[in-house]
Amino acid sequence: MVSPELLAACRRGDRRAFEELVRLSHRRVYSLAYRLVGDRSDAGDVAQEAYLRMYRGLAGFREEARFETWMYRIVMNCAMTVLKKRGRFGLLVSDQELDVPVPDRAAERAVDRDELERALALLPEGQRVAVLLKDVYGLSVREISEELGIEEGAVKVRLHRARKRLAESLSTGDDRAGEL
Amino acid sequence: MPVSSEHVSDLLPEYAESGLRPAGEVEEHLASCAACTAELGTYRSLLSSLVALRAVEVEPPAGYLDRTLRTARLASITSRIPSLAYLRRVSTRGTRILAQTPRAGYALASLGGAAVGATAIALVWWRIARRDAVATAVNS
Repeated sequence: MVSPELLAACRRGDRRAFEELVRLSHRRVYSLAYRLVGDRSDAGDVAQEAYLRMYRGLAGFREEARFETWMYRIVMNCAMTVLKKRGRFGLLVSDQELDVPVPDRAAERAVDRDELERALALLPEGQRVAVLLKDVYGLSVREISEELGIEEGAVKVRLHRARKRLAESLSTGDDRAGEL
Repeated sequence: MPVSSEHVSDLLPEYAESGLRPAGEVEEHLASCAACTAELGTYRSLLSSLVALRAVEVEPPAGYLDRTLRTARLASITSRIPSLAYLRRVSTRGTRILAQTPRAGYALASLGGAAVGATAIALVWWRIARRDAVATAVNS
């Protein structure tokens, strides 16, 4: 957890304080970056860029209680740049459905973590970004809509579709979701 | 057909969020429909699993922390170097001041002229000193 004292030191330009902040947060930053871009090398680049932006932005940052949300928004913003470069931003903006069949419903099972990560990775990018930021990292619909540059209603539609698809994927008894 | 007699599957992904409770006809339907109640349970379980995922960290590749710390050091160094945008802003501002106050322009031109003159004198002096040093070396 990053303390207000550490943030204050970072704001004063204390290099060692910023390094401490990196040590405390680098795993969380990398995890979000990886879940958003789905590639280890790109996730590393996203994290580096995010820390550069954090360093520049910290001087003007005043809401200590919202540091995590601020950090996640920066990571998300950097990840969007990578996804745009890949030429897949169209999927993010239009929420175009991928041609991925949804497994049939079967008996309910307890949600397995690895299975959940796999099911998340299989979502169309627009849906994955929305559900990760809202349901996993706790950003508000408004914050997500601001970062993605789309209407709040569009974010809600993605969340709705993503949750339905995840519930369907996870409640299936076969392993087809892992093969898609 | 009233909502209470229809399945409410489409409303459940939102109702499953904590703080939101089914109300009115939806609640009425859930009270009498085991399938929709079970589906609501599935969504609640999904959402709590998603929240729990935040604490699960993906293992970064070897060397990632060192690379990130180097980036942090680089950030602290480059932050002291003025950006091109800043230099452009300063230059635009300077040009505007010179355009508005001709005396400042004359002063700057005088300073520039003095600097050029001083450089020329220094160059001539340096060449003469060098020539004398070479002549002394040859004679000795």
